[in-house]
Amino acid sequence: MDSLLSLLPHLANGISLGLLFALIALGFMLILGVMETINLAHGSLFALGMYAALFLVAPKLGWFPQAQAAYMSLPIGTRYAIALFVAPLLVGGFGLLLELCLRRTYGRDPLYGLLLTFGAALVIEELIRLTWGSNEQQLALPATISGAFMLGDLIYSRYRVFASGFAIVAILGLWLFLERTPYGAIIKAGAHDSEMVRALGINLSRLRSAVFALGVALAAIAGVVMAPIWGIRPQVGVDAVVPAFLIIVLGGVGSLWGAVIAGLMVGLVVGITGAYASEWSLMSMYFLFIAVVTFRSRGLFGKKSVLEA
Amino acid sequence: MTDPSTPATPTVEPTRRTLLKASGLAVAGASSFFGPWGHNRVWAQAAAPKPLVLGLTMDASGQYAASGGEERLGAMMAIKEFNDKGGVLGRHIEAIHMDTETTPATGSRVAERMITRNEVAFLVGALHSGVANAISQVAQKYGCIFMNTNSSSPTEAGKDCHRTKFVWDGNGTNFAHAIVKNAIRVNGKNWVLLTNDYVWGHSTSKATRAIVEANGGKIVDELLVPQNTRDFASYLLKLQQIKPNVVAAAIGGDDIKALRQQVVQLNLQKSMAWINNQQDWPDVYGLGPESIFGVFGTTWYYRLDLPGVKEFVAAYQKQFPGMAIRVPGNVFHNSYMCTRELLRCVEEAGSTNNIAVIKKLEGRKMAARDRLQHFDAWIDPATHQVQQTIYMASYNDAPAEKDDIFKILANVEPKDVADTDAVKSCKLETYEATPSYQQ
Repeated sequence: MDSLLSLLPHLANGISLGLLFALIALGFMLILGVMETINLAHGSLFALGMYAALFLVAPKLGWFPQAQAAYMSLPIGTRYAIALFVAPLLVGGFGLLLELCLRRTYGRDPLYGLLLTFGAALVIEELIRLTWGSNEQQLALPATISGAFMLGDLIYSRYRVFASGFAIVAILGLWLFLERTPYGAIIKAGAHDSEMVRALGINLSRLRSAVFALGVALAAIAGVVMAPIWGIRPQVGVDAVVPAFLIIVLGGVGSLWGAVIAGLMVGLVVGITGAYASEWSLMSMYFLFIAVVTFRSRGLFGKKSVLEA
Repeated sequence: MTDPSTPATPTVEPTRRTLLKASGLAVAGASSFFGPWGHNRVWAQAAAPKPLVLGLTMDASGQYAASGGEERLGAMMAIKEFNDKGGVLGRHIEAIHMDTETTPATGSRVAERMITRNEVAFLVGALHSGVANAISQVAQKYGCIFMNTNSSSPTEAGKDCHRTKFVWDGNGTNFAHAIVKNAIRVNGKNWVLLTNDYVWGHSTSKATRAIVEANGGKIVDELLVPQNTRDFASYLLKLQQIKPNVVAAAIGGDDIKALRQQVVQLNLQKSMAWINNQQDWPDVYGLGPESIFGVFGTTWYYRLDLPGVKEFVAAYQKQFPGMAIRVPGNVFHNSYMCTRELLRCVEEAGSTNNIAVIKKLEGRKMAARDRLQHFDAWIDPATHQVQQTIYMASYNDAPAEKDDIFKILANVEPKDVADTDAVKSCKLETYEATPSYQQ
């Protein structure tokens, strides 16, 4: 009984971690599912989201000291809220530019898209280094979501609860957008049969731009949310892109709920092994991946291939 | 108005022939000016002695990227000082840097390439002990001297020692000797080890365990933390369940930054004592005062009240203005001292021959004043590790300036923290078994 009770906090932690993993994977899932492009720049765009938030929470406007002072006089809660909503828009705008470069690779060998996004990842990371330096930075948080609270005789982080809640809202928001709006219907139709969508008079290149920008904005949202937990450094994107890729394949390419459930599974496995066999905590997600893909190569919720029919 | 007495310049209408002629002349002139540079370079090299090339094997990415940057600056400052005096043995010193990516396989490949293709005279740099070990195996194969600037696994000068490798940093055992005994007395006997799951973490925790148990303490658990762990929540929950008196962390690079931030979020720095075996300056700089909790070891601090320290800091700031890290720390200091001492030994040996330089380095004594530390240092000829002053530090709650974040609690003489196990496990190759190497 005692051991079961001691397991409960780790289960809760695993679920919270899983929600955050799912949030990290959402943008990656959208771009891969709809555009069939493996966006290797996802991690760097995640990092760019962190830095955009850093700028919006505590801007350094050397030439405009008065503007900086006026902005900094806003409460930290307001600045954080601005960062949470504006940083993804800024990075999404950057995503639009990146998609312009990506257009040349459509319809060609997928390797071109892979190489282009890999190159973009390197460029973005170096741009971050040049602009903000290579040192660790911290995102200031409002007092209401920082610090800790006691539950039983254990201490929990308030921010972690907020981040998990935000991840749930973001996942539900994306689901509602894809399932309950005409835009979502067009995006899904584009993923299913792009030629038919074009034949119906829908501008496919604009659709692709919008999807890419949305995917990038989701990467940035994940970056802003994860910044206070992981810390902000130029190379932090590498830590995001690997689990994101793994979760997408595990959940099944193109499946929103597949990504969420895979994220939760990865979170639980990492959280529980972290407590009981800590040296296996990072490796455990790969074992889970191997176990699932061995028996179900298209992932948990992936569409059946024509070859399997 | 045109003077009618001056004959007007006849206007020549350009014909195709004149145009071709003029273009041909222009191309010929331009080609004699612009080339052939390959030949000119050969002439220049023939007139000047061949530069002495140092291969900087330092991380620019991965867990130790931030410290790798500081290492590079340290080596570059030492090189500049020598070049300003005319180089070494009349040879200009050049440095080539390749990113070792905090990955042993990359370290090995970079070392091989630098020695065989770039013909470097010496290799300098390392943070991750696995990378350092990989580099040193390649270096020993060719006989190239490798200066391990900043990796501090006790195995580096113990079972993985080599005749061509010199280990410049204090190691996990040195720091454990300096910190553990007092921490048991002040904080209690029940300890948990939080160990980065690679050679430095393991060997450091092993040393800590031995010293804790020898002093009446008890290791109640050891949690292994894989490299590149970003989320420490499960470890921190586990620590709350165990409720130890002391957590002894051997966590480095980006991992320790993430850990520190997450400990602060849960306020766990207040409910248990924290000891970090060694705290590298780039891993704590800019984190904010609340994240610098516990007691930790270091080999140098920029506000040590010793002659020459202020000038050293000023030289750093002059050579590297506008750096994100405004003042040098232990990583920079180690790298600078290591490169400077190597070049001094080359000068004294009058040769870049590896055996001649190794003999100058082995047993070398370095005055405290010269190294900007409290006690004289020396290179142990049996292990090739620099025996140096170890400092214990904590957060400075009364800083004299913004960067003054460490409070130095004590300094310990090298002989009091010596790693006696290293001497037993280190078996240096003989001179005869070490290939001759000279560039």
